[in-house]
Amino acid sequence: MTRDAYVLGRGMIDFGERYEDSFDDLLEEAYLALLDDVNVGSDEIDAAWYGTLDVADEGMSGAAVAHATGLFETPITQVVNACATGSDAVRNAVLAVESGQVDCALVIGAEKMRDTAEGLISLAAEKRVWRGRGVTMPAFFGMRATRHMEEYGTTREQIAEVSVKNHRHGSMYPHAHYKFECSVDDVLSSTTISEPLNLYDCCPVTDGAAAVLIGTEDLAREHAPELVRVAGTGLSSDSFVRGNDASLTHFPATRDASSRAYEASGYGPEDVDVAEVHDCFSITELVTYEDLGFCEVGDGGRFVAEGRADLDGEVAVNPSGGLLAKGHPIGATGVAQVAEIYEQLIGQAGDVQVDGVEVGLQHNIGVGRNATGSVSCVNVLERV
Amino acid sequence: MSGIRYSRDRRQHDRLVAFECQDCGWVSYPEQRRTCKRCGAAPAEFEEVQLAERGEVQTYVVQSRLPEEFETPQPVAVVDLPQVDGEGEPARVYGLLTETDGDDLEVGREVVARYRELFTAGDRPVHSFKFAPPRAESIGTDGDGAGDRGGEGER
Repeated sequence: MTRDAYVLGRGMIDFGERYEDSFDDLLEEAYLALLDDVNVGSDEIDAAWYGTLDVADEGMSGAAVAHATGLFETPITQVVNACATGSDAVRNAVLAVESGQVDCALVIGAEKMRDTAEGLISLAAEKRVWRGRGVTMPAFFGMRATRHMEEYGTTREQIAEVSVKNHRHGSMYPHAHYKFECSVDDVLSSTTISEPLNLYDCCPVTDGAAAVLIGTEDLAREHAPELVRVAGTGLSSDSFVRGNDASLTHFPATRDASSRAYEASGYGPEDVDVAEVHDCFSITELVTYEDLGFCEVGDGGRFVAEGRADLDGEVAVNPSGGLLAKGHPIGATGVAQVAEIYEQLIGQAGDVQVDGVEVGLQHNIGVGRNATGSVSCVNVLERV
Repeated sequence: MSGIRYSRDRRQHDRLVAFECQDCGWVSYPEQRRTCKRCGAAPAEFEEVQLAERGEVQTYVVQSRLPEEFETPQPVAVVDLPQVDGEGEPARVYGLLTETDGDDLEVGREVVARYRELFTAGDRPVHSFKFAPPRAESIGTDGDGAGDRGGEGER
């Protein structure tokens, strides 16, 4: 017998350069923000799932959350799944509530991205074996841009439109790291990182944490202003080198993860009103429109350029500013996206509130395995 | 970093040996394991095949931001290397490029694997290949870069 899982509340903190705050400080702040939103006692939290890659090497294991929150004598599981870490932590909490084992589950994610002495590029380029060595994240994603332009006639300007849109949204979102607007020309004239991608095609390096509480329908009726149900989840993996031509331009992992989440939820892409998707680079969001089924394959460039992903478009994509403006503290990213979809569904998204939202989708795509493998997690939420 | 992890797949890197799944035809490179990554056969029956040194660029980027030990601009590409005997499917391989002007790269371009010392793991040199345009067409170099073994750092 299974039952449904609901979002009971969320705790968001400001993302950015948080030099004054330790890893523990970020976790503690997100937890306190959650308790400020939802009036549960710590003794009501049955278990926790904790997302972090532990880039800063000070948050290993559930003990880090126990120390930061005081949730001792509580089962806490660390989840690590590349850039899908936070969303997979949510998914695991949802599965636990659905199974009947847990009534109230904390999900908390955090990353201190700016404390690494070696630098992320160096880590990515030098620590991999064999052919992954010297290949950075902007390269892995940028290769999709090159091929997408070649295969579908997508223009460099259309790719830039993703960043323009997300920075416009980010300028209105209170927790975003960068709150400036930019034009297509700004994107095209910014510093070259990994041609064809420039600086403004890349998400910043950001510290942050976020928390959500997942629980039963009874608890949701008691604590949440609106009933927001987790309607379906999906998780999948794929690789660049399996000879699947779709992976030269797209992410088959996203297609599979979203198929699973759509099937479990009973919704399809045409039902989604608002989405927080993985835009680590501008091109990532563009191909994700296609992988999630928001538009036809090859049509992502037109989809964004015609405003169909705007706040008043067919699907409002990344009202928070996405990773490009809000930032991408890896373990926190997916948790924050779920928190933002929840805010949209309960009508508390402030200046970036989308009208008439009933179904929201959250998506991450991550890279691992010597820069060839990708992993995707998709969660679909609905206002009941 | 221990050198041992680089010795396991050395034959594949030194001699472009790859492994063809006898169920679906997928060509595994550089790893040989016992399961097919495409059709899922487990255990799969793999046969050794020899890859050609010349293949076709499927996609690429030109990296500008890398640690000091890498030359920049540093192109990286996904290249399909066919089998030497012209049969079966190519292997999909990715790798850095050298002696290449980024402006000269395009999807569909032919490149050739050139062997060199890629880096050192502890005290041991690690040899493998980078891709480059075929010699007669190479841009911005008159050098005989193939097979260089000496010197410091990345090349």
